[in-house]
Amino acid sequence: MKILVVEDHEELAQNVHAYLEQEGYVCEVAENYHSALNKLGGFEYDAVILDLMLPDGNGLDILKWLKSNQSDMGVLILSAKNALNDKVEGLELGADDYLSKPFHFTELNARLKAIYRRRKLKGHDIIQCSNISINSETMEVKVGENLLELTRKEFELLLYFIINKNRVLTKQSIAEHLWGDYIDSLDSFDFVYQHIKNLRKKLMQAGSDDPIQTMYGSGYKFMVSE
Amino acid sequence: MKLIYKYTLWYLLISLGVFVVGSIITYQVMKREISREQERFLRERLTFVERMVDRRQPDSVLVRDKIRVEPLPQATAETEISYSDTVVMHSTLERMEPHTKLEVVREVAGKFYHISLYDVIVEQDDIIESVRESMIKVYLLLTGTVLLLGVFAGLYLFKPFNKTLNLIRNFDLDRGQPIRQIKTGTQEFDRLNQFLEEMTTKVQTDYNALKEFSENASHEMQTPLANAIGKLELLLNNPKLEAKESQKVMGALDSLRQISKMGQSLGLLTKIENREFANKAPLDFSTSVTRALDNFQELIDLKSITLERSITPHVEVIMDPNLADIMINNLLSNAIRHNERNGIIRTKVDESGFIICNTGKPPSAAPDSLFDRFKKDSNGRDGMGLGLSIVKKICDVSGFKIDYWYELNEHRLEIEFVR
Repeated sequence: MKILVVEDHEELAQNVHAYLEQEGYVCEVAENYHSALNKLGGFEYDAVILDLMLPDGNGLDILKWLKSNQSDMGVLILSAKNALNDKVEGLELGADDYLSKPFHFTELNARLKAIYRRRKLKGHDIIQCSNISINSETMEVKVGENLLELTRKEFELLLYFIINKNRVLTKQSIAEHLWGDYIDSLDSFDFVYQHIKNLRKKLMQAGSDDPIQTMYGSGYKFMVSE
Repeated sequence: MKLIYKYTLWYLLISLGVFVVGSIITYQVMKREISREQERFLRERLTFVERMVDRRQPDSVLVRDKIRVEPLPQATAETEISYSDTVVMHSTLERMEPHTKLEVVREVAGKFYHISLYDVIVEQDDIIESVRESMIKVYLLLTGTVLLLGVFAGLYLFKPFNKTLNLIRNFDLDRGQPIRQIKTGTQEFDRLNQFLEEMTTKVQTDYNALKEFSENASHEMQTPLANAIGKLELLLNNPKLEAKESQKVMGALDSLRQISKMGQSLGLLTKIENREFANKAPLDFSTSVTRALDNFQELIDLKSITLERSITPHVEVIMDPNLADIMINNLLSNAIRHNERNGIIRTKVDESGFIICNTGKPPSAAPDSLFDRFKKDSNGRDGMGLGLSIVKKICDVSGFKIDYWYELNEHRLEIEFVR
């Protein structure tokens, strides 16, 4: 999957670049409006991560340009302005998703994968991870041949884990992934803990090993031996 | 009272005083002129009487109409003419009337006579009468004219002023247009309009700068924070990291997240204060609350809290939909956060307002200060103490009243829709 990151903060762009490469994406960085337009005009990407505030232009104009060129590229807006108008306008202009800064890399990864599934696979894909298989459209989960009955949140949690396998997921990022803005100021960790407990139990009952490793002090990791 | 009415009233009151003084002056001038005329007339009659005395040379007192001639027994000196006022029966009016009297001693054909004449041309009350009548008529005429002028001034002279007032009333910072100066041809209004243009241009620039600043501040702050958080999360994935070290990284992450949340909350407060959410429209408040409760249901269940809903359907309020969601979400997450296990949350929506109660420990701060910034309740672990100030600010800009109290082990927040 080929991604263009349009971000003017050099360090952050490098960070995202490094992270996405680790995750197996092919990634390029454009640091301003003009180089972004040049790259988008010259190369094909599967998705573009778009910062709205650029030193020489507005990210929304890039989005407009993409849409007027009938591009099939997925667009994820990444903005710190947190201005509701921007979010609404961006989504109305045809962006696939909106993520406000600061964000968790694992969340960025999950959103990019979701865009990819929706656009390229039209939702028809089976995600296979050791002996667990997930159909993201029908929400069907199997461990080996055993069907797993999961609640919606447990399903989302499992998908989030598998997309970010072998990575530390902080409780905060899990809580924000599951409950979005609502979790803001709630003591979310108990809730995360309960969901993980239930998911673990169901996975083990279906015959899986316990793949969720508790990282003392930091969070959880979904272990998959490659 | 309208300025023009005030002005007219003052004008009429003052001119009433002027008219009273004017009447007295007019009366006195007229009276002086009339008595001069009277004296001149009497002097003419005196010449006539002297001629008559010369002809007749009377030996006894001669009394004719308004003339009395008395021969003096011995020779004496002639005197100056003297005038005095006297009251005499008026021949035609048949009542006592003040008259002017002339007295003099004259030598006619070697004999001395005391001559007295009296007469009246215009009676005193006739003068008073005519002065009063003419003054009242003139005053009525003036009143009519001034009132007419008032109506005219209200309609035409104050037109540019009313126009300016309308412009001020419709002035909207969000529209980004200062009030443009209009030439009226009246010095005062032109100065007012010029001042308004300068002032609104200044306000507009300040407002835009502030808006831009808060957006930039958010961007400039959140981007480095995103960078720092990203780096720390990458660090967490380092397999060589010991548990103790990752705890420190987590601590740093926590603090960074708090700064970020605080920046967002302050940014939001500034935006609400700047009235950037001005999209007021009728909104089904019941639906908004129900939707929020459904979203929170899972979190409520996870804490084993009992939720009681008493929601009258389709309660309509006029407010910005984004602000409504922020307000309801803030109140609900507060009610969950400051609750206890197996606690209760009661929600009620009806035409008069929105009430949310929850069980929980009594607040450590004074109830009134809970709406202040950074006045956080010590029972809550996180939260910047901005949640309730945001709710308060939203109520302020939406024209609602908010009240908080704690009784019977319950926090009770009441928002009254002032319509």
